[in-house]
Amino acid sequence: MAKSVKLDAHGEALLRQYRELRPTLEQLEKKAYNQLRQALHEQGIYVTGIEHRLKTEKSLTGKLELKGAKYKSIDDVTDLVGLRVITFYTDEVDKVAAIAKRIFDIDWQESVDKRKLHELHAFGYNSLHYICRLRSGGPRFELQMRTALQHVWSTIEHDTGYKGDVKIPRDYVRQFSRLAGMMELMDDEFSRLRLVLTDYRRQILSMVQNGRLDEVPLSRASFRSFLDLQPFDRLNTRIAAVNQAEIYPVSMMSYLPVLESFGLETLGDVQAFIDENSDDAYQLALSQLAITDLDILSSNTALQYLCLVYVLKHDGGRDGLKSLYDKINGENESNGMLADLMMEQAKTLPFMHKKKN
Amino acid sequence: MLKTTIQEQDGNVVAILEGNLDTAASVEAEKVMSPLCDVEGKDIIIDCTDLEYISSAGLRIFLTILQSAQEKDGHVYIKNINDNVRAIFAITGFSNIFEFV
Repeated sequence: MAKSVKLDAHGEALLRQYRELRPTLEQLEKKAYNQLRQALHEQGIYVTGIEHRLKTEKSLTGKLELKGAKYKSIDDVTDLVGLRVITFYTDEVDKVAAIAKRIFDIDWQESVDKRKLHELHAFGYNSLHYICRLRSGGPRFELQMRTALQHVWSTIEHDTGYKGDVKIPRDYVRQFSRLAGMMELMDDEFSRLRLVLTDYRRQILSMVQNGRLDEVPLSRASFRSFLDLQPFDRLNTRIAAVNQAEIYPVSMMSYLPVLESFGLETLGDVQAFIDENSDDAYQLALSQLAITDLDILSSNTALQYLCLVYVLKHDGGRDGLKSLYDKINGENESNGMLADLMMEQAKTLPFMHKKKN
Repeated sequence: MLKTTIQEQDGNVVAILEGNLDTAASVEAEKVMSPLCDVEGKDIIIDCTDLEYISSAGLRIFLTILQSAQEKDGHVYIKNINDNVRAIFAITGFSNIFEFV
């Protein structure tokens, strides 16, 4: 059964003001959300979520019952409209805050950085709260900014009733504090790890750009940087010229596991793989495409033919080709047919005979 | 000659292609299949059970449908493709772009 709430005359007056203000608040909720979403997008900040809500009459009634006397008018209730930005990393909370300062007017007297409120000897885990107003004026609203882990903490804290009306025994408070401390540490470590990885990616990129390919281990990040150098363009262009074909751009990242399966360990190995097999890959592509009028090719055509040639030169035979197609296309019955077709096309090509000598 | 039928089946949009999707047939096919680019919230299945041949122009139609579906987080499945058509997808490097069922 719902708990009945009795408001005094002042509380009832505030509730009436809320009802009158509600259409304005609905507009405010939409405008504030859209302005914030747009600004985050323009600054390239990707967050796990932006929540927004208008306080319900039931929720407001509960609040007024507890502390209605502290509000002179409904304008003093600053969280009638609430927005919450949940970020991936701690440093992004500050970035979101900087953006909020730029697009909204902040009421600094009411805003609070709960992250800084904890006693030195205590753990806690809270977020940054700003009380804002649109630059165009209107009622104030609350903007909460927190990391995903802070959000998890707050949600669990709320669910367990940790801050409820029952006094929690000291041992349980201590367990909560330990967990809060651990999560705060995890947040910091995730941020630190991201910095380390960003720095590593920069180093890799620099080595790739300076041509120090032998020093760069083959990985997702390094292969992506390598692809920026368009290492397959020359062969693609050569193959496309067979039928004056258009090259349709597609991702080549799906070939990374194939290159790794060939035992290529550095970008230098990949470059050598390209240099050693390009002419034969061209011959193989030519043998297939010259008898067609196909004038559109995917941008991974060159890489595909390089891989096919590599398998054939390393005595992979029909089974090796099928295994390669399984890796490229996913396991499929027709990969055997494709392997047979390729064996048939390749058998007259010079590299197939050279390898026997 | 190409016959193209578009219908809804089990919450998916299904395009059934019968015959040759060659250059001559591609102009009409592009027109008939253009509503597939507007599909939202449903998967697209291109039933190729009776598709005998596909040209570059046909591949371009498939790619356009795929691109518009991916922009809306949708999927395009190519169903029951025959070996000849499959080989065309493979030699042009498009076989790992589509989902074959």
